[in-house]
Amino acid sequence: MAEVSLRHIKKIYPNTEKKKKKDEPAHRTTHLKVTAEGIVAVDDFNLEIKDREFIVLVGPSGCGKSTTLRMVAGLEEISGGELLIDGKLMNDVAPKDRDIAMVFQSYALYPHMTVRENMAFPLKLKKVPQAEIDKKVNEAAEILGITEYLERKPKALSGGQRQRVAIGRAIVREPKVLLMDEPLSNLDAKLRNQMRAEIIKLRQRINTTFLYVTHDQTEAMTLGDRIVIMKDGEVQQIGTPQEVFDHPSNLFVSGFIGVPQMNYFDAKLVKTDGKYAVELDGKTIELSPEKQERLAANNVEAQDITLGVRPEHIALFGEGSQMFHGKVDVSEMMGSSVHLHLQSLGQDVIVIVPTMDLQGIHHDGISIGQEIAFTFGGNVVHVFAKDGKNLEF
Amino acid sequence: MEKNTLSAENRRKSILSAVLGVICIIYVLPVVAVVINSFKVNTFVKTNTFDLPRGEMWAGFTNFIKGMTFGNYPFWKSAMYSALITVLSTALILLFTSMAAWYIARVNSKFCKLVYYLCVFSMVVPFQMVMFTLSKTADKLHLNTPWTIPIVYLGFGAGLAIFMFVGFVKSIPIEIEEAASIDGCGPLRTYFSVVFPMLRPTMISVGILEIMWVWNDYLLPVLVLDINEYRTIPIHIQYLKGSYGTVDLGATMALILMSIIPVIIFYLACQKYIIKGVAAGAVKG
Ligand SMILES: Nc1ncnc2c1ncn2[C@@H]1O[C@H](COP(=O)(O)OP(=O)(O)O)[C@@H](O)[C@H]1O
Ligand SMILES: [Mg+2]
Repeated sequence: MAEVSLRHIKKIYPNTEKKKKKDEPAHRTTHLKVTAEGIVAVDDFNLEIKDREFIVLVGPSGCGKSTTLRMVAGLEEISGGELLIDGKLMNDVAPKDRDIAMVFQSYALYPHMTVRENMAFPLKLKKVPQAEIDKKVNEAAEILGITEYLERKPKALSGGQRQRVAIGRAIVREPKVLLMDEPLSNLDAKLRNQMRAEIIKLRQRINTTFLYVTHDQTEAMTLGDRIVIMKDGEVQQIGTPQEVFDHPSNLFVSGFIGVPQMNYFDAKLVKTDGKYAVELDGKTIELSPEKQERLAANNVEAQDITLGVRPEHIALFGEGSQMFHGKVDVSEMMGSSVHLHLQSLGQDVIVIVPTMDLQGIHHDGISIGQEIAFTFGGNVVHVFAKDGKNLEF
Repeated sequence: MEKNTLSAENRRKSILSAVLGVICIIYVLPVVAVVINSFKVNTFVKTNTFDLPRGEMWAGFTNFIKGMTFGNYPFWKSAMYSALITVLSTALILLFTSMAAWYIARVNSKFCKLVYYLCVFSMVVPFQMVMFTLSKTADKLHLNTPWTIPIVYLGFGAGLAIFMFVGFVKSIPIEIEEAASIDGCGPLRTYFSVVFPMLRPTMISVGILEIMWVWNDYLLPVLVLDINEYRTIPIHIQYLKGSYGTVDLGATMALILMSIIPVIIFYLACQKYIIKGVAAGAVKG
């Protein structure tokens, strides 16, 4: 139950790159800014988290998600900016006095304590009476379905059970903010889906603000009220899952959210009589009125652009001059849909077709090498400037 | 072909067993000699050293009784001082070095690195090199009683102990301590409630190594302690001589046997941990 404000939060690690470079060669995926003070792991992070909100930080590995979370927890010093929990400045408050709880990817259970002792530990330290401790631990164990393991040591539990215990230890305290750093990453795919659903349920039952870190966009989309997409220590976009899916602020976000990835084409934005359209492969697609308005509001000029179209927004219906032509390269049957990889316009184009529809169009199924025509409308295209910015923003 | 390599393997194994067996016998022989001779009449110890104590050589337990009652210094007192010094030193070493190692392993500063390398360095400095200055210093600082000599042992034992503890602490995921600090622990609380219990396996192995070392140590107490007042068992044995310098070898052997019996019992009881601990120190250090 708390509001959390992160204002211009910044983290600079002392520069130890020279030593690291030797054993960590060129395949680094991140390009963090390096200044005179050191490596900027998180730069100018601004977020106002509402009471009981579920915020997910998502981004590729090394983009500064954990660092941000650890700054909120107090495990990492804040190099700049202000952190407020319920309006109180927390920058220099010890972790134990922030009234937060944290769930780690590696569970971080106390190996020498039983499950019950693990969960009771934070309450014991708060000097809660024993009877109440027992009550709360039993309650939490009930919620998480670990009652029968209460007297076991963590070593005798499976990964999923351990993570439940870790969550139990975090919720018995009824913290203001519950922090989770990739809590499901160590679990196998099936268990991960199951635990994800349980976290959604858990969330209804307890009155806590959630701050959740993951590199998995599915987790982010399904769990978050709002998601924060980060890259190289900088926030790329903050919004509801729907917002970031429909209106990605830049190329990076558009590619990071959504599987399979968005298709990109080199195209031209043209403006005739105040109307915007995109030109691709000699065909002109007029943008939807909503997009027209946004572009006009930004006074966007005609220019070379990167055109983005999500695979699920490409249609195999239609006829005539607006159709693009391609050859089927690979066809992946996913059950309810089929992912077609087409060779078209000199590049790979991915199209998702619901299995049902596909049967309607191509009765005989799709064979490799087959010629196929596709199109997309002016309402689903994303128009990015060559520097990656979405021109609608 | 298969058979050939197998028999070659077997041959290699049996040769290895034989060699190791011989080495084993060489190691055990002195101990066996001590056992045999402790039951032998004094005059035969020199002449028939490797004979079994048969017939007229058999002395029964007279050597043991003599060893414990001989001279003007009571044996029980030596045993008591030995035990006191061993227990105190080991307790001090375990408590202080585990705390220090935790700090060194977790705080990444130049100072910590320096202390760590000093500790490692101290392991390669032989005692004989520093013993003269050390005994002088110990005298000056009044560290020359059984109650204070554990401080000197702490200094000498710290190197190996810190080395082993640091190796182990580094293998513990730091998230557990971070979880503790979020759950409401200060540094002391984190140490005693969380880190200390996790260090238990290394505590046991370091404890065993230190106990065996301090219990058997002769040179440090003989240099530092006032031997007219305080004697440990090894010193007691050394002073088992008559006033004219005649040495009662039978009684000496009996006392040596008595002094190693606790260590042997202790070793057998903790053997599992010793081997584990030494290996852990070696691999993770
Ligand atoms: N203690 C540290 N010293 C220097 N750089 C660090 C340290 N911890 C993390 N970093 C760097 O900060 C960046 C962000 O790390 P992190 O927040 O852990 O990323 P992730 O988003 O994968 O959780 C990484 O590029 C990492 O190399
Ligand atoms: Mg991380």
